[in-house]
Amino acid sequence: MPEIMMLSVAMLASIAGMGWLALAMEAHWGQVFGPHAQRPRTIRGLRVGGGLALALSLGLCLGADHPSMAALVWIMTLAAGALAVAFTLSWRPGLLRVLLPGI
Amino acid sequence: MFQSFRLSMAWLHTWFGLTLGFVLMVVFFFGALSVFDREIDRWAVPQSRFEPQPIPSFDKILRPVFEQMQPTQEAIAEMAPRVNGPMPETYPVIERMGAYTTHRDPVLNLFIGFDVPNAKDPEEAIWAYRTIDPRNGASLPDDRLKIGSEFFYPLHYSLNLHWRDIGTWIVGSAALVMLAALVSGVVMHRKIFREFFTFRPGKTSQRSVLDLHNLTGVVALPFHFFFALTGLVIFAGIYFPVGHTQLDPLHEMSERLEAAETGLPHDRAGVAAPLASVDAMVADAQRRWHEKGMAGEVGFLTLQHVGDANGYVSVYRAGTDRIALTGEGIHYKAATGELLREDPAPGFVDNLNEFLTGLHLQHFRHWLLRWLYVLGGLTGCVCIATGFIFFVEKRKRQHAKQGIQGARLVDALAVTTVTGMVLAALGMLIANKLLPDSLPAGWPPRGDLEQYAFWGSWLLAFIHALARSGPVAAGRLSPAWAEQCRAIAVLAPLAVLLNWIITGDHLLRTLSALYWPVAGLDLCLLASAGVALLAAAKLKRRALAAPAIDTAKREAAHA
Repeated sequence: MPEIMMLSVAMLASIAGMGWLALAMEAHWGQVFGPHAQRPRTIRGLRVGGGLALALSLGLCLGADHPSMAALVWIMTLAAGALAVAFTLSWRPGLLRVLLPGI
Repeated sequence: MFQSFRLSMAWLHTWFGLTLGFVLMVVFFFGALSVFDREIDRWAVPQSRFEPQPIPSFDKILRPVFEQMQPTQEAIAEMAPRVNGPMPETYPVIERMGAYTTHRDPVLNLFIGFDVPNAKDPEEAIWAYRTIDPRNGASLPDDRLKIGSEFFYPLHYSLNLHWRDIGTWIVGSAALVMLAALVSGVVMHRKIFREFFTFRPGKTSQRSVLDLHNLTGVVALPFHFFFALTGLVIFAGIYFPVGHTQLDPLHEMSERLEAAETGLPHDRAGVAAPLASVDAMVADAQRRWHEKGMAGEVGFLTLQHVGDANGYVSVYRAGTDRIALTGEGIHYKAATGELLREDPAPGFVDNLNEFLTGLHLQHFRHWLLRWLYVLGGLTGCVCIATGFIFFVEKRKRQHAKQGIQGARLVDALAVTTVTGMVLAALGMLIANKLLPDSLPAGWPPRGDLEQYAFWGSWLLAFIHALARSGPVAAGRLSPAWAEQCRAIAVLAPLAVLLNWIITGDHLLRTLSALYWPVAGLDLCLLASAGVALLAAAKLKRRALAAPAIDTAKREAAHA
């Protein structure tokens, strides 16, 4: 996979990972699916999924660059992902439904 | 003194953050701009708008330029107090000369240091600088200020206050306070994980501002921490100048020992010697890097003890493929081209130091990481700005009742450092385009006028912020915020327009030619105008709604 693809997917994986971690929290779940929506029993699944997505992002960064550079790129994509998720939750929380298409 | 550790941390965070936060704001904003300093240079100096070039042939292009270079009258006058007797008439002995470039530089920076025999500090040389077009060796006009790399970038670490390095010391103490503010901020924050993704713009302004302050502080915490820390590491030599004060004799001895160990002479031999082909040495160095599988562009080339039998040439690699600021230097005897030394692979401490400084100084080639650094820097700006606003929001009603001007003053200073700083930068870019190509005789140099435009615009923004701050004393919103946002929305597109009129490089042309340095800055200027317009509209709505919210809140409190 060319570098630019790997880095783009790494960025997306960081955003999605942060999104799943946010959805694992009750308040944010309510923001996205409505305050009365039934929360799935698999909160743990969201946490694990979020963690795996962030790990995938790290792996892709390592694939694209020298490890010293990849570490910095990854940490910064985490910050960018967290900001993107936080602002989406503030202004367009419904958009995060794409992270759980079945619900 | 305080009831709890948390309260003492809160005191520290509030007051240290307030006093040095204004400095930190400058450091973060111009640091974020410095990520693209070379690109801002292209915008400011139209003669340099071409593709980045490798270092050209020394023998054919650089050598004739070096042979013409002499110290300027200003440099001679500046050094005069530091010599015994008058300054020399001529400067025949060259101690050091070199060329420096990066993968983003179309133009090449040259420097040369001449020996001054009667200098009070025998190690001190007098320096001359030149910027050339490396394709043909032609010099760029001397009075062109590279606004990005020569003004915004040094502003970021020295505030451009050079007297006794005072600016560097102020920035250093601000960085130290920043580390303390980060630690105390984490201690104060009760719900780091529970509110990790939380920003509630619909709540009261105090609550939503605090949300944004926490969010921008926490998500970019590693960035904030490491940039404050590595900034201090880079300037450790200034903050702990033991090498040339208490330990001067030891330092001198260490230099001699190092010279003996590396075989690179510390002093001139006093015997004249010719210069062999430097191009052949560069080619040999590139071959050696290539054998080690490293990208082989030269970033830095120096000649020491020029024209002397002890002279040597050092060739350093441009480390575009690593974070660490490495050079893999290779050194040759100037007279013969014989290999003197290859720098060994660095040990652990050197490696760590090179990684930490390289992380901050960004010589690498990685556009995504550059943009992520800009995001980190602007996140820091938002964090500091919301800190000021929270300070004001928390106190302004109280101060209004008691008739104290504190909140009003802090608010005016916040306007000056948030929107005023953007206006100062815009004022400078506009002056850069409005000033004629050649100035009338007797005028200050062009670059100086651009700097006056910067400081003048900032001063005007401060006066405006102060003059319009009256409503804050009554517990309301200062109209200066919205007014300066509108000024940004007018001035930023004006800079883009002037760039088009004066240089002919409009966005359609730069975008179709994919000349990103200029197109990128134009697009960023337009984007900031858009953001400023949105902010102005939002502030207007809030100002209209403010009294209503206040009464509603008071009623709710009474109920």
